[in-house]
Amino acid sequence: MLGKLTLEAIPLHQPIPLIAGAVVAAVVLGVVAWIVLAGHLPYLWREWITSVDHKRVGVMYCLLALVMLIRGFSDAILMRSQHVFAYKAAGYLPPEHYDQIFSAHGVIMIFFGAMPFMIGLMNFAVPLQLGVRDVAFPTLNSVSFWLTASGALLVNASLIVGEFARTGWWPAPPLSEITYSPGVGVDYYLWAIQISGVGTLMTGINFVTTILKMRAPGMSYLRMPMFCWTALAASLLIVAAFPILTATLAMLSLDRYLGFHFFTDSHGGNSMMFMNLFWAWGHPEVYILALPAYGVFSEVISTFSGKPLFAYRSMVLATMSICLLSFTVWLHHFFTMGPGGDVNGVFAITSMIIAVPTGVKIFDWLFTMYGGRVRLTSAMLWSLGFMVTFVIGGATGVLLAIPPADFVLHNSMFLVAHFHNVMVSAVLFAAFAGYTYWFPKAFGFRLDEGWGKAAFWFGITGFVIVFGAFYWLGLLGMTRRMQHYDVADWRPWILVSAFGVVVMVAGVACTLIQLVVSIRRREELRDVTGDPWDGRSLEWATASPPPVFNFAALPEVHGEEAYWAIKSRAREQLRLREEPDYAPIEMPLNSATGFICAFFATLIGFAMIWYIWWLAAAGLVGAFLTFVVFAWRDKVEYEIPASEVARINRANRATRLEALQGVGQRRAA
Amino acid sequence: MSHADHAGPDALDRHQTDLAPGEEYGEEDIGKGVRGYLIGLALAVLLTLCSFAIVHTKVVWAPAVPVAILVFAVAQMGVHLVFFLHITTGPDNTNNVMALAFGVLFVVLVVGGSVWIMANMNANMMPGMPHSAMPNSATPHQPMTQPMHH
Amino acid sequence: MSSTASPGSVTAGSITALRGDPHHLGHSRDGHGESRATGRGIGGPAPKRIVVAYGFWIFILSDIVMFASFFAAYAVLQGGIADGPTGPEIFDLTNTALETGLLLLSSFACGMASLALGARRMLYFQVAMAVTFLLGAGFVALEVMEFADLVGRGLIPSRSAFLSSFFTLVGCHGLHVTIGLLWLLTMMAQVLTKGFRADIVRRTLCFALFWHALDIVWVGVFSIVYLMGSIT
Repeated sequence: MLGKLTLEAIPLHQPIPLIAGAVVAAVVLGVVAWIVLAGHLPYLWREWITSVDHKRVGVMYCLLALVMLIRGFSDAILMRSQHVFAYKAAGYLPPEHYDQIFSAHGVIMIFFGAMPFMIGLMNFAVPLQLGVRDVAFPTLNSVSFWLTASGALLVNASLIVGEFARTGWWPAPPLSEITYSPGVGVDYYLWAIQISGVGTLMTGINFVTTILKMRAPGMSYLRMPMFCWTALAASLLIVAAFPILTATLAMLSLDRYLGFHFFTDSHGGNSMMFMNLFWAWGHPEVYILALPAYGVFSEVISTFSGKPLFAYRSMVLATMSICLLSFTVWLHHFFTMGPGGDVNGVFAITSMIIAVPTGVKIFDWLFTMYGGRVRLTSAMLWSLGFMVTFVIGGATGVLLAIPPADFVLHNSMFLVAHFHNVMVSAVLFAAFAGYTYWFPKAFGFRLDEGWGKAAFWFGITGFVIVFGAFYWLGLLGMTRRMQHYDVADWRPWILVSAFGVVVMVAGVACTLIQLVVSIRRREELRDVTGDPWDGRSLEWATASPPPVFNFAALPEVHGEEAYWAIKSRAREQLRLREEPDYAPIEMPLNSATGFICAFFATLIGFAMIWYIWWLAAAGLVGAFLTFVVFAWRDKVEYEIPASEVARINRANRATRLEALQGVGQRRAA
Repeated sequence: MSHADHAGPDALDRHQTDLAPGEEYGEEDIGKGVRGYLIGLALAVLLTLCSFAIVHTKVVWAPAVPVAILVFAVAQMGVHLVFFLHITTGPDNTNNVMALAFGVLFVVLVVGGSVWIMANMNANMMPGMPHSAMPNSATPHQPMTQPMHH
Repeated sequence: MSSTASPGSVTAGSITALRGDPHHLGHSRDGHGESRATGRGIGGPAPKRIVVAYGFWIFILSDIVMFASFFAAYAVLQGGIADGPTGPEIFDLTNTALETGLLLLSSFACGMASLALGARRMLYFQVAMAVTFLLGAGFVALEVMEFADLVGRGLIPSRSAFLSSFFTLVGCHGLHVTIGLLWLLTMMAQVLTKGFRADIVRRTLCFALFWHALDIVWVGVFSIVYLMGSIT
């Protein structure tokens, strides 16, 4: 009746997962209870859960990401503390538990921390920067978000019911085959990633279409903001790479569920093929994460240097080169798995070539700052921190691209340091920079700068300590994923990295405090005009937060940096643009399709994990019916009357005019 | 009955507007449309017959048969793209062609790359599999059993 | 209408069923056709039919990449026959030729349906779609029978890597065709009940793209799997 699911699945006899699971369950239930009892559910349902507005979807993505980053970080704390106690001792985390922790850490950080954060920033900013009202497929956008959330839910459910994979974040066969991983752990991994992978693929399609086919009048390709170019490149990579992951995980699922022999170690299967296909997705994946990050830095650096981005065209060329080249390097993830010197050599060269366009970008950012009026806000600090630390991470990457060196360093802590160095520097720092930069646009008030700077300094210091120690540990011969060790030379550096994690915890705490303090002080931090940073791109032309329709009239774009041109003219002439001819605006209706689809997806995933076949079938029928109901809709849009559009727009114009008159008075004085 | 939905590509100069993928310029002329599909069908049938025939006939030198099948397959895919999906090289189809080219590139990289990599690894790593004929594939060295002499 | 048209007509969200016109084909406030934007994005957002069809084209691209992964797996694993059969032992080229013919003709019928859709001829459209369905269903039936025959002879996917990759690649294609058939029926029903409404026309065009793309994939399947696999 319930497949493999029994009460044994709940870890009543293992204190650590039991307590962790209980805490997570208590927090989730507590939040839900508060929402329902305080009467917030109708508002939440109407304004957020069923919203198809890209701004709301973007905020939800970023919120999911922040929560999951904390969950992933807590796994990291567990791992570091285990190492502190596990010198010539067993530590407090038994191997079968430790293995789940490092696997969950990787999966959560990449799929449910970094990806949603970058996608959330793309969701929020790209349509605003393009000067349009929403993405190409708004309801699909909502579906994408909820499917991602469904995957995150499944991963967290494994804490309470069952177990997670013990294979690491890439489940290599034959370890991940049913023979050697008979439990539900790998199945949790497979279904969580497959479900959220569908969501991500839909996002890729959505953004490619939006950026190529929907821009404000006059915005040719070479007038798009840099963040939109990187969003385009990342979305193209998503469309090209995620299907490989879908197929590969499907093949592993067929091996596990139906006894197929794709990757088994018998009957003609080839386990190496899994790693080949996995990394054919895996390498483009890191660029899917890194490219939007580069885009965020382009925006932040040019805004806070008060200068247009240096050599815009070379940036575009570099971005699209990275996009194409990222599909030519994937073998460097398995130099040591047995390819001959010729294959290794070719991929070593391509891996070194791909460093060049990124180097171009670094120089372009430096030259953007040169001669500009640099304002060291916290977003700018994150960008500067990125430039310094990322160069080191990139350099160690080029070092690892040399196969003889890689034979020594593969799967050592040096490798762990390298990929954390690049991922944290690029993606996490960009996440915080973007979060700080666009927060006022989303919510109408800025984040507290003091706490933001404290978060930066603690964050980067802790990061350098932890991963500096890891580089050294790698050179001393320590491998990754060790549950205990007995080499005396490593001990001091492990203690150093544990100290570094404590410093990072302080950074995370500052970020959380920053949010609380900013909400408390929001009237002081209010963004009145909609342009708190003296921005250069079109999102700063709207109010903070923007109305649901973004722009009363789609702006006419005549050159790069559309908003800067509008603002310069306004400042020169000390008057705003002409009021547009207000017309009624049609916006897509909210839809519960996303939420309900994800509900059935979670049901199907859970049922398949526990072999509850009837429930999986019921879930499939439900999902299909949801789709049919959605397809049969007659009313898809609602109209905002012209008077309402005028009222909202005039309110923002009034505050902007006031600010402009202030400029005029200061100039006259 | 107005064809407002299709007013786009026909009413404006085809150099100014884009076609949606699958759309054809001048769709109103049914006769021309049917003719296009019939030509495509005929060519596809011809290529299919060639492919099947070449497996059975001894006319073609044996090692060239797989290549020929591949050529016919690519040609037939081209026929489908041009006659059924109306993909042309005109400026109104640029975005569609670019997307297609992008996809083809990645398919070639993934499939070609995988076949090359796996053949190489199989030759080096799989027990009992024949070594590849490539001159620089690794043949296993004898392990060093004698200590080095100084 | 130039690109500096009145703001309301260049909105990204299109104007549809709100006005209650069952056969309306999309109109702006002044009753003309949809946005005259060029569709490359520079004249403002493209008309909805281009946006929807292009988005679906990108989806098809992603589906092709997924099939490519299965092709790659097949190419690598086709030598892994273990104690099971080889290609020539299980491939029936006559059956394959029949399947190819059925799918190709159904692609042609789909083309006829697209022409009927463009001309807004309900009867021709429904007949052409029905023929497409029957030919496609014939393809699926033949493939199911082929698989059933193999399974009946004990040649199941779990026998060898070759069989695993064969069943998965060909089965994945067959699954796509089956889903396409369900979609076909849905579109026939929607056009019948709601007429040639703009959004339904857009979806039917997307279906046609999908159907032709499946035939393109089949060309790859029968060439690489069946034909190349039959050369001894």
